[in-house]
Amino acid sequence: MNPPPRPRLDRNLVHRFGIVAVLLIISGLLAATTDSFATAANLTNVARQVSINGILAVGVTFVLLTGGVDLSLGSVVALSGVACALFAHPGEHALIVPLAVGLLTGGACGLVNGLLVTRGGIAPFIVTLGMMTVARGLALILSGGKPVANMSPALTDLAGDLGPVPIPLLCFGVVALASWLFLSRFRLGRHLYAVGGNEPAARAAGVSVPRVKLFAYGLCGLLTGLAGVVLAARITTGQPNAGQAYELDAIAAVVIGGTSLSGGIGSVLGTLLGVLLIGIINNGLDLLSVSSYYQAVIKGVIIVGAVWLDRRQARS
Amino acid sequence: MRLTPRIALGLPPFLLAAALLVGCKKAESRKPGEWLVGYSSRDQSAEYTARLGDAVQARAKERGVRLVFVDAQADAQKQISQAENFIAQKVDVIILNPCEVEASSPAVDRARAAKIPVINVNSLTKSAPDCYVGSDDEQAGILAMEAIAKKLGGQGNVLMIHGIMGQSAQIHRDAGARKVLAKYPGMRLLDHQTASWDRAKALALTENWVQAHRGKFQAIFAHNDEMAMGALLALERAGLKKEVYVIGVDAIAQALEAVKAGRLDATVFQDAAGQGRGAIDAAILMASKQPFEKEVMIPFQVVTRENVDTFLKK
Repeated sequence: MNPPPRPRLDRNLVHRFGIVAVLLIISGLLAATTDSFATAANLTNVARQVSINGILAVGVTFVLLTGGVDLSLGSVVALSGVACALFAHPGEHALIVPLAVGLLTGGACGLVNGLLVTRGGIAPFIVTLGMMTVARGLALILSGGKPVANMSPALTDLAGDLGPVPIPLLCFGVVALASWLFLSRFRLGRHLYAVGGNEPAARAAGVSVPRVKLFAYGLCGLLTGLAGVVLAARITTGQPNAGQAYELDAIAAVVIGGTSLSGGIGSVLGTLLGVLLIGIINNGLDLLSVSSYYQAVIKGVIIVGAVWLDRRQARS
Repeated sequence: MRLTPRIALGLPPFLLAAALLVGCKKAESRKPGEWLVGYSSRDQSAEYTARLGDAVQARAKERGVRLVFVDAQADAQKQISQAENFIAQKVDVIILNPCEVEASSPAVDRARAAKIPVINVNSLTKSAPDCYVGSDDEQAGILAMEAIAKKLGGQGNVLMIHGIMGQSAQIHRDAGARKVLAKYPGMRLLDHQTASWDRAKALALTENWVQAHRGKFQAIFAHNDEMAMGALLALERAGLKKEVYVIGVDAIAQALEAVKAGRLDATVFQDAAGQGRGAIDAAILMASKQPFEKEVMIPFQVVTRENVDTFLKK
């Protein structure tokens, strides 16, 4: 079998300068206008706050690369968090149990999505829209509609620091690094690009398209489960209502980072930049005491503006 | 019977329909003298409104009222359809826990046009119902800010975390808080921002505030307990809790436990059981054509470490 052509990652990276420029300009402005932005404490803060969206964004990058989409992220975050919290009461189980339950809940949701897309032949938009409401409903059923509290300190400490580094950031870092290596160095990673770029060609080249897609959705689900566990640790409860619209921030970060919504093009590094941009906007607008109404408008304008700048540059 | 492809194809929809039928409870015939009341909950997935729904169901059972209980899932459009269904079912009284001030108004109008008495519970609509049972959210804002003023001796900087902007509870809790602030020239609203009733958002917001205003604020008023718990976590992790007074609204179970443990300073108790009881009692008076109060106000109460035990039992 001939391996599918290696994606042109390098070209992709060069064209991320538009986003880097926007990031630098915004950071510069914030450093100049506030006393607190460019402090170590605040930057740690930003890192902690972007971790959850970061893990989700890296996960959904895999799905978007195959030309699919996952709208169920936010609901699956809530479901995994609730499932994890239910097994995290002090003195009941070893720490590994709630962690595994959270991760596997997410992974199972992802696999169901993947199976329905590949075996069922249903459009990803519909499948994951269905999962979005099913997972939210299951989270409410499992929790009885109330936050699941009384989590063991061993688990909630996972939102704390390891030395100077926030543990959620550590999780995000490991996930991002592993995903980057995987996509650029492993054959299955390259197959993901091939499937998204040109499915018939990939199939003709001997790539098992259903298996690649199933892998993408399953991995995305697993990472969503991880995000759910990290969120539950951070807010010390499993919240059935948590994660509302998280999928939108995650998908926005991936697209800002240059991943094509129609698949085949994109990189984890781009996604990191997108995650950072959204995180810095959220943090900066709070530091500047911008009113809630204006925050929404400014955030939207910056996101669309950054993508426009980036694409314009990529064309020239 | 052989499973022909045609039957096999027809099977899933058939099973789905069967599941739906089993899922619905069979409508029993009404006993004489039993009142039929329709209740449309704003959102059974939110803790407070779920508690209110439970209270309504419990009281209906106690008083032998047959209740048709539906959930509008925070969708005013759905709530209007539910009111129309109640009218078609010829209920004696409709109780609405309105989703929105404006958008749920047609539900009230439909009921009144059909000459079925209608009660709003917990929040208002633009169209006036026959009876309102609820609590005055402005009072919650006043009580919370007064508690802060008392603690700070009328001197200091306050941060406020709003609910979803434009919702009735957010507007009135905000207005109440500002009324109190206007009375104390020594107190200033240093910053205010929405966290949309959400704990994770309030946590991130407070982390950012700790960076922007460290050492400059002495109290935080959150429009609900979920957000107060988020603010509390951020302050505890920054080691600032001792310097900052935190108060929320609703008295959810976790907040009460945090008050008892001396972590959260206070919360304002909104009486779901009282509202639910009031709504069913008013419905019975209306159905049996007896005189009823047009407005039943259930008061808020401040919960601190001193009186938290009485609320933990409720």
